[in-house]
Amino acid sequence: MRRKASLVLLACAVFCAALSPLLRWYTFPRVARIPANEYQDMVLEAKDATLLDYGTMRARKVSKVTIVQTLKGDVEAAKKIERTAGRPVVVWDSLSYVQGPDGKMVSKVPERYIFDAHSQDPVHATGESVDGDPVRREGIEFKWPFLTQKRDYEYFDAQTRTTSPIHYRGTRDFRGLTVYYFEQTIPWTKVAMPKTMPVQGITPETVARTGTTRWYTTVRRFWVEPVTGAPVYGEELHKEELRGGTLLGGRAKVTAFAGHVKMREDYIDHTVALVKHNRTLVLTLTSYVPWGSLGLGLLLLALSLYLEARARRPRDTAAGPTEEPEPVSA
Amino acid sequence: MRALIAAATGLALALALVLLIGALGPSSGRTSPKPLLTTVPPHP
Repeated sequence: MRRKASLVLLACAVFCAALSPLLRWYTFPRVARIPANEYQDMVLEAKDATLLDYGTMRARKVSKVTIVQTLKGDVEAAKKIERTAGRPVVVWDSLSYVQGPDGKMVSKVPERYIFDAHSQDPVHATGESVDGDPVRREGIEFKWPFLTQKRDYEYFDAQTRTTSPIHYRGTRDFRGLTVYYFEQTIPWTKVAMPKTMPVQGITPETVARTGTTRWYTTVRRFWVEPVTGAPVYGEELHKEELRGGTLLGGRAKVTAFAGHVKMREDYIDHTVALVKHNRTLVLTLTSYVPWGSLGLGLLLLALSLYLEARARRPRDTAAGPTEEPEPVSA
Repeated sequence: MRALIAAATGLALALALVLLIGALGPSSGRTSPKPLLTTVPPHP
């Protein structure tokens, strides 16, 4: 009976011990994925910003500029690309909608971002674009990979349509979460005019004919929760200028937008709560279950060996006292 | 020999379980009907 029990325990021990690495290195990459049907919105604000008045073509101080950013996963497009890419893919359609203090549109820039659902590596397919222009992304955008490392990453900048490093600048505490702080500086770069301009009748083509060009610089900062790779907070020191051409009436340049863009407070709270929840799910697969399973496996193995050893011990105590042999007389 | 069979059974069950979880995977669901926003939402 003991030998049977020890064999059952041995099978359970091997099951648990084998489950530990299999969950971490086989199941985790297959199960931990960005859902293809993700839908998220985010509101960012730049208080006391500078904004160009297109009526007078002069920069003016405004109380607030609001940026509404929406990400929406296109499940059908993702499935279609997956068939040729041979890996799980997420297709995000995003819209950055910028609104002035009067509620009127300042700019809106749509994007299509295609990436590997687990590793966050970019996937190149037809439709990958920024403001209608085809692009070929390298590096990451919006989100870091699961189990983010303390190193620089390549980050795609949608305004310049280029990729450059975003530097790891240390580990911080953000509202009870341990986060990695990343920073990227985009130097003054000539960028395309948005396809949708705030004034009717003005198009990028009509502006281009005046010889006026648009320039942009930003310092981008992200506080990233490393287990999920999700930014819990982000801000930008963003500046845009129009330079040269007849549109400025002889001036060399005019500020189109300048402001310190930060996430709105209620969205920070919401993001932190969401990331804390998702962090627990990821840790379950990468840490809690693998380590727990390994520990249980070792415990069961020890118990199995103990039962086996007891089963093999000679039953000298159970047999009782032996009788003295009586002398035999002939 | 019986110990070897028991260990192999445990290993096979572990492999079967992770293969099953991996094959099932997360469901992709449907594209959200909600639009890309052009108004400021009052709350998340």
